[in-house]
Amino acid sequence: MRGKFKWPEGVRCACMITVDFDGPSHEIGRKLRPLGINSWGRYSARRGIPRYMDLFEKHGIPSTFFVPGYDAEYYPDTVKEIHRRGFEVAAHGYLHEGWELGDEEEELLTRTHRILTDLTGTAPVGWRSPSGRKTARTMRVLKKLGYLYDSSDKDYDLPYMARIDGVRLTDMVEIPNNTYSLDDFPWFKFSMTPASEVLTQWKQEFDSLYAENGFFMLTFHPRSGWGSGIPSRARIVEDLIRYIKQFEGVRFYSLQELARWCLANPGEFE
Amino acid sequence: MSTTPLWPEGKICGVTVTVNFDAESVDLHEVAKENLYGRFSYGRYGMRAGVWRLLEVLRAQGVKGTCFVPALDAENHPQAVEAAVKDGHEIAARGYAFEDHSKLGDAEAATLAKAHAVLGKIAGRAPVGWRAPQGLLSPATLGHLADLGYRYDSSFQDDDTPYVMRTADGKEIVELPSIQMLDDSTLYGPRHSHDRVIKTWKEEFDAIYGCGLFVNLTLHARGDSGSGRASRARVVDEFLTYVQRRPGVFFMTCAEMAAWWKQHHPQSEAAPV
Repeated sequence: MRGKFKWPEGVRCACMITVDFDGPSHEIGRKLRPLGINSWGRYSARRGIPRYMDLFEKHGIPSTFFVPGYDAEYYPDTVKEIHRRGFEVAAHGYLHEGWELGDEEEELLTRTHRILTDLTGTAPVGWRSPSGRKTARTMRVLKKLGYLYDSSDKDYDLPYMARIDGVRLTDMVEIPNNTYSLDDFPWFKFSMTPASEVLTQWKQEFDSLYAENGFFMLTFHPRSGWGSGIPSRARIVEDLIRYIKQFEGVRFYSLQELARWCLANPGEFE
Repeated sequence: MSTTPLWPEGKICGVTVTVNFDAESVDLHEVAKENLYGRFSYGRYGMRAGVWRLLEVLRAQGVKGTCFVPALDAENHPQAVEAAVKDGHEIAARGYAFEDHSKLGDAEAATLAKAHAVLGKIAGRAPVGWRAPQGLLSPATLGHLADLGYRYDSSFQDDDTPYVMRTADGKEIVELPSIQMLDDSTLYGPRHSHDRVIKTWKEEFDAIYGCGLFVNLTLHARGDSGSGRASRARVVDEFLTYVQRRPGVFFMTCAEMAAWWKQHHPQSEAAPV
């Protein structure tokens, strides 16, 4: 499969290193208190987020941080700091909802939208589903709130123009991700794979995607437990960035930058 | 940001080695006492064989560790607790019968007090540290522990170093956090091999050592997901040998670590609820 796409002049591979904040919201949303074994989410703001902001700055990597509204209320200074240091703050549910929302959905999306807008002074333009659930209604609400992109679907290896009720939009992009491999939690929650083996896996993913369409997106969580906040896992993310940088024509983007490129060239994407 | 050095002069990485006894008190959550046979005897293995092997490894390595002991297991196996005490290890608390402390409600204070009294009597000294069975606490747990005179908890996984928490009524308790990959049951539970465990532990240690942070190794004596089997005690031995070769590594018991930390990094923050 070779899709329809066009990268900016000189770019052979568009790379996105994205962070899903996932603080205590993940446990609170499941009626667990952030204590003991359930304190993993606290690690994000205490250690993981600062560690990754430093790492990205060191390597000149733009990034997108997807932040649940609850975590933004809990750690407002951390979210402001992400924005102040020039990274994109995007929306990621309120309580990292992993269940059917029904009629509540519009209110929750709007609530997080307002929280993030108030904290950073800038309305988020991107959303990623917490837990991967999303419906046709989600897209309608996001559109209404002025979002430029969604990054939740798993149905393609390239960005494409979003569809709402079967209609291809020209002002909203879908930037799909692969949470079965290019995400940390399958390795650290299910298979308990050593960090060095995950690095090998991600390098193989990069090699294949570089060869095919030149679209690579990694997602990880800066928490402890099944996330990548801890030193061993930050080390493999850094090693991966170093590896990718050796390739010709690689350019790192925030999702917003990539979405804006796609929107400026809608005829070049499906 | 604080410029206080993290560790004592010339030291790079603080290490605590902990052994969760977790014997029949665990299996009794699944079956009654008369059914503690067959696949419900892994806890007993820990007390008959596992813990003795781990004590031997620690002796050979010259490391003083901390044993977290459910009080019921201490009652049933006082000789294992006494042997650990004789070797200079710290005995710390881990509930009475491996209760889920997030669900004890009004019974929690009495359960903690009972476990405290029983364990203190067998160990010959009141415990000053606690680790939550199953890692589960209630918002009241830390306060109850402080009331009983506990100096530290070691149940959270939210930081790279110890830190000081303040309970609702202003009492201070040190947290000694850990990470899942430096807990033997994380990998042995889903049946990973010795090779993968030693590889993982070395990778985790290298990265933590590289950042000059804190290692809180968690072992179990049990025969299923613990490190009590002969082959797995060897993995522990190999890992500790690897750690000891690095310059600037120092070992403390959890009580020593908590006391040292609080003395040198006294700033506290409100405990989460």
